[in-house]
Amino acid sequence: MFSRLALRNVRRSFRDYGVYLLTLTFGVGLFYTFNSLDGQGALVYLTNVGNPIVEAITMLMDIFSVFVAVVLACLILYANRFLLRRRKRELGTYLLLGLSQGQVSRLLFLETGLIGLISLAAGLALGVAASFGMSALTLSMFEIDVSAMLAINFSPRAAGKTVIYFGVIFLLVMALSGVQVSKSRLIDLIHGERKNEVLKPRPLGVAVFQFVLGVACLAAAYAILLYFGMALAIAILPLCIVMLSLGTVGTLLIFRSLSGFVMKFVQGHPGLYFKNLNVFTLRQWISKVHTTYMAQTVVCILLLLAIGITASSLGLNSTLSAMTDQEAPFDITIQNRSADDSGAVDFTAVLENGGFDTGSLLSGEVDFCVYYNDTALTGVEDVSGILALSDLNTLLALQGKAPIALSPGEHKLLDAWGDGLVTGSLGIYTAVVEDAAARQLEVRRQYWSANYTGDSARTEEQILQLIRPLQLENQLRVESRLSIYADMVGNKILALFLGLYLGFTFLLAAAAVLALQQLSQAADNTGRYAILRRLGAEERQVKKSATQQVALAFLLPLALALVHSVVGMKAANDIIFTVGKVDSTTSSMITAGVILVVYGGYFLATSLACRRMAKNA
Amino acid sequence: MPEILTVTDLKKVYGKGGSLTRALDGVSLSLEAGEFVGVMGPSGSGKTTLLNCVSTIDRPSAGSIVIDGRELTRLKGKELAKFRRERLGFIFQDCNLLDTLTTYENIALSLSIIRAPAQKIDRRVREMAEFLGITDCLNKYPYQMSGGQQQRCAAARAMVTHPALVLADEPTGALDSKSSQMLLDRLDALNRDLGTTILMVTHDAFTASCCRRVVFLRDGKLFLELHRGKDSRKAFFQKIIQVVTEMGGGMADVL
Repeated sequence: MFSRLALRNVRRSFRDYGVYLLTLTFGVGLFYTFNSLDGQGALVYLTNVGNPIVEAITMLMDIFSVFVAVVLACLILYANRFLLRRRKRELGTYLLLGLSQGQVSRLLFLETGLIGLISLAAGLALGVAASFGMSALTLSMFEIDVSAMLAINFSPRAAGKTVIYFGVIFLLVMALSGVQVSKSRLIDLIHGERKNEVLKPRPLGVAVFQFVLGVACLAAAYAILLYFGMALAIAILPLCIVMLSLGTVGTLLIFRSLSGFVMKFVQGHPGLYFKNLNVFTLRQWISKVHTTYMAQTVVCILLLLAIGITASSLGLNSTLSAMTDQEAPFDITIQNRSADDSGAVDFTAVLENGGFDTGSLLSGEVDFCVYYNDTALTGVEDVSGILALSDLNTLLALQGKAPIALSPGEHKLLDAWGDGLVTGSLGIYTAVVEDAAARQLEVRRQYWSANYTGDSARTEEQILQLIRPLQLENQLRVESRLSIYADMVGNKILALFLGLYLGFTFLLAAAAVLALQQLSQAADNTGRYAILRRLGAEERQVKKSATQQVALAFLLPLALALVHSVVGMKAANDIIFTVGKVDSTTSSMITAGVILVVYGGYFLATSLACRRMAKNA
Repeated sequence: MPEILTVTDLKKVYGKGGSLTRALDGVSLSLEAGEFVGVMGPSGSGKTTLLNCVSTIDRPSAGSIVIDGRELTRLKGKELAKFRRERLGFIFQDCNLLDTLTTYENIALSLSIIRAPAQKIDRRVREMAEFLGITDCLNKYPYQMSGGQQQRCAAARAMVTHPALVLADEPTGALDSKSSQMLLDRLDALNRDLGTTILMVTHDAFTASCCRRVVFLRDGKLFLELHRGKDSRKAFFQKIIQVVTEMGGGMADVL
C-alpha cells in the first residue's frame, strides 16, 4: 500500500515539481560527464602519446568532483526542504488519518528512493549523450585528425562513482526528511499553509537613497578594477578586498532597492502606474524583495563566476593554441649543449649513415652555433651568447620574415631567451653581431633544426632512434613541434574541462535556487490571482503578471552579472593580451549560448509552472 | 423604475443520474434600479448558489438571468469577464483585499482593470474613500487596518467602478457588532445617496433588517418576501425574526 502511495506521489511530483527533477537529472549528468573523461577520445589520444598531463587531469577532476558533489548535495537538500514545506498539509493529513510518524518517514523514504532512481537513470542517459558532445568538442581542438576516436562510450567506472556519490546524497536526503517529519508537531503541519510573513512598510525615499549608494559603490569598484588592471587589483590584497566588498555591497544594495526605486519612478507616471496590472506586479516585487535580495545577490555572483570561468577558459584555449605556433617554428630542433666541449656534430651525416634519406624526408635544414660572448671583441655587455647576423637572417627567411641589417660595431639583443627562433628556445640570453666579429668567438652551443616532409610521427621516431647513440658522448636536448603540441593540448583540455565543470556547476546551482524560490512564491500567490480573477481581470493579464514576476527574478541577476563580467573580461583581456591573442568573440558567444540553454531552460520551466499555478488559482 | 436584475425560473442541479441535488428549484426574482435587497435562508437553502449564478461565477442548469438588459447565460469567456468587471461589484465575507497593495492601490486596481483613464483614477479613488470614511487609511496596508476598515475598503473597491449591481456575500460575517453597524450604515448611504443597487446574502437577521426588502429561500425555492415599507428598522427586524423562527419550525415539523 505504501509503495502504491509513494508511486502516486512521485507521479504527481513530475507535474508539480519538474524543477526538482530537472536539477537532479542535470546534476547527475554533469557529474557523470566529467568523471568519464578518461574514456573520451581526447584523453585516450593523450594517453596513447604518453602525455603526463592525463594523470593530472584525472586527479584534478577527482578533487573537484568532491567539491561539486558537496555543492550539489547542498542544492538537493535545499530543494527537498522546499518540497517538504509545500507538502506539510499533506503529511499532516497522513498523521491525522492515524499513520505513525515512522510510517510517514518510511513513505518519504520510498518516495525519495524512487525519485533518486528515476533521476539517476535519466541523468546517466543525459551524461552519456553529453560526454559524446564533450568528446566532439575536445577532439575538434586537435589540429590533427583523430575523428576515428569519436564514439559513444559508456564508462562503468564513472557510472559507478556517480551512483555511489548520489546514493550517499539521496540517503542523506532521506534521513533528513525522516528527521524533519519526526520532529514536527501535528498542529504545525495542519496549519502549514498559513504563513506569518510580516510586511513592513518601507518608505520609498530610503530605497531611492540605497539605489544611488549602490550604483556609486559599483562605479567605485569598476573604477578600481579598470584603473589598476586585473593583475594589480587582485595581487594587492587591500585593494582586492576593497574592490570585492564595494562590488558585493553595491550589488546587494541595488537588488534591495531597485524595486522601490522603480516604484517611486512609476508612481510619478500615472499612465504607467495605473496601466493593466502594473501596480500589482510592482507591489508583488517589492513585497518579496526582503526575502529574495540576498539570494539574488548570491545568484548574481554565482552567474558572474560561471560566465567568467567559462569564457576565460575558452578564451585561454585560443591563446594557448596561438602559442604553439609561436613556440615551434620548426618540426624539430636538436640542441647540442656540449658543443663547446666535444665539438659540433654533423647531424645530417649521422642520419644519412643510419640509412635515413634526408633529401626526401626533410626540408629547410638549418645548422648554426651560438658563441660565448667576449666583451673585448663584441663590445656587448651582460649577454652570455652571441649569434651571427647571417644565421639570424637565415632563420628569419625560413619563417618568411624580413632580414635585418647591422652596421659594423652595432648589435641587437634578442627577446628573452631567443624565443621563436627555433623550436623550444635558444635557452641563452643572446645578442646578434656581425659575422666578422662572431666567427672569431668560441662555440658555445650547436642548434640543428629541420622540417618534416612526410609522416611526421614516423619521421620523428626514426630521427630519435638514430640520435640516441650520440647521447652517450653529447648532451643533447630535443624539442619537437609534436611534443610541444601534445603538452599544449593537454593544458588546453585541462583549462577547458576545469572551467566548464565549475562553470556549469555554479550555473546549475544559481538557476535551481532561483527557480525553487519563485515556485514557492507562486504557490503563495494563488490566492491573490483568484482575487484578481474575481475582480474581472482577464486570464491573459493574470498570466502576464505571473510571467513578469518570474522574469524579474531571473533576468535581473543575469543582467547585473553580465555587466560585471563585461567589465571583468575587459580587465582580464589586458592580461591575456600580453601572452597571446584572444579570440574573445567566439568564446563569449559560446558562453552566451551555454548560459542561454541552462538558465533559459530553468526560466522556461519555472514560468510555465508559475503560469499553471496562476491558472489553477 | 427600470429592472436591473431579472431572474426567471432559475434551476441548478448538482450531481448525475440517481443522486441529484436541486440547489435551486425554479427561483424567480427581480430587482429594480436602486433597490437594496437581502437574501436569507438556512444552510443549504441555495443562497450562495443563487449569488454565484448571478455573479457569473457559476452557470445555472436552466432558466434565465438578465442584468441590465443582457442575458447572462448566453455570454461566454471574454465577454463574461468583461461584463463581470464592468457591470458587477463584489463584497465578500473575507474581504479579499490584496495584502501586498495599499488601500489606495487596492481601490485603484479595479479601475485599472476596467481600463479607466489614468488621470481620472486618483479623483475617483479619493471620492469613494471619502464617502466610506477611509481617507486616513489610504496609504496603509490591509494588515495595518481593522476588520471593519478592511471591509469598507472592499466596499469602496466594489463601488468605485459604478457597477449596475453590487453583490455582497455575508459582508458582516467576520465583523464585530460596531464594525458591522458602521459598514451597514455606509452601504445604506451608498444605496440612498448614489442609487447603487445591492443584493446581499446574509443569515444574520439584524444585518438583513437594513434592507428595503428581504427574500427568504428554502430548499432551493422562494419561500417568502418581506417589504420594509414604512416600518422602523426595529419593527422590520422583529418581522424577520418571526419568519426565521417559522422557517426553523417548519423544518422541525418535517423532521
